[in-house]
Amino acid sequence: MDQRLLKLQSLLNDIPGVVKAYFQPPANLTMQYPCIVYERDSATTLFANNTPYRHTKRYQVTVIDPDPDSEIPDGVAALPLSSFSRHFTSDGLHHDVYSLYF
Amino acid sequence: MAEIVWDAPGTRVYETGVDHGVLYLPDVTGAYNTGFAWNGLVSVSESPSGAEATPQYADNIKYLNLVSAEEFGATIEAFTYPDEFAQCDGTASPEEGLFIGQQRRKTFGLSYRTLIGNDIDATDHGYKLHLIYGALAAPTEKAYNTVNDSPEAITFSWELTTTPVAVPGFKPAAQLTLDSTKVSSVKMALIEDLLYGASASEPALPLPAEIISILAAA
Repeated sequence: MDQRLLKLQSLLNDIPGVVKAYFQPPANLTMQYPCIVYERDSATTLFANNTPYRHTKRYQVTVIDPDPDSEIPDGVAALPLSSFSRHFTSDGLHHDVYSLYF
Repeated sequence: MAEIVWDAPGTRVYETGVDHGVLYLPDVTGAYNTGFAWNGLVSVSESPSGAEATPQYADNIKYLNLVSAEEFGATIEAFTYPDEFAQCDGTASPEEGLFIGQQRRKTFGLSYRTLIGNDIDATDHGYKLHLIYGALAAPTEKAYNTVNDSPEAITFSWELTTTPVAVPGFKPAAQLTLDSTKVSSVKMALIEDLLYGASASEPALPLPAEIISILAAA
């Protein structure tokens, strides 16, 4: 992990209630809930001087929690450059998906 | 007699891009002897004005057009600006880190490069160097917005008006353009050494007379 990703990992791990934050976990990994799963999603580039001037990566951050009234999504929503995308339930687990530029 | 051919290989020329922006500050003699890199340059929109025709009528016909003087103006957009540009934007800095607005605006010079492309070499075909003299920046809006859910950066913008400088043999002008596809590479290198500095010289904006003499030299 590069330094920037380590910082994000630490930021997500430190949200109260999160057992663990997983970066692009393999399909066969047994995850502990409540958790955050995040993965590279997109990126935005600003251009100047005929070159990319600033490149910002976007991550899809999914909070997975059996508690329907979990406060973890509020922690993710409070991060700068974070926006809520959607919510769904699967296998009795609530998924709140966010887009986060970091 | 040769027949006209359109869009032959190598003639599908276009222009694009902007980079290598340099700010030049004049000394008391008007010579632009110091240059500073302008990072984050997004666009330079050239907007000449004037040269408006005023028709004159006589003998029941349009007799002639009187044309007003032409002026050069431009708009610069950039994510940032050199610290030295602050004095050109009406900001004084009496102490390190302190900036006082609404001060006298200093004139400046500017150079930037645009790319020339064609269907064979793409943007490696050549470039143009644009030199602007006697520029004065007008106050413009700086809109600071909250950080939101998408990464954005403020794009600063300045509108320039210019005061032309003397050009031997021609009317005074505020803008010169050099085309690398037409000027020899040796002379372009010489001019770029002047503009961007070299191991033994500081960056400077040569006046039109000096540019013309370099190009006219054998």
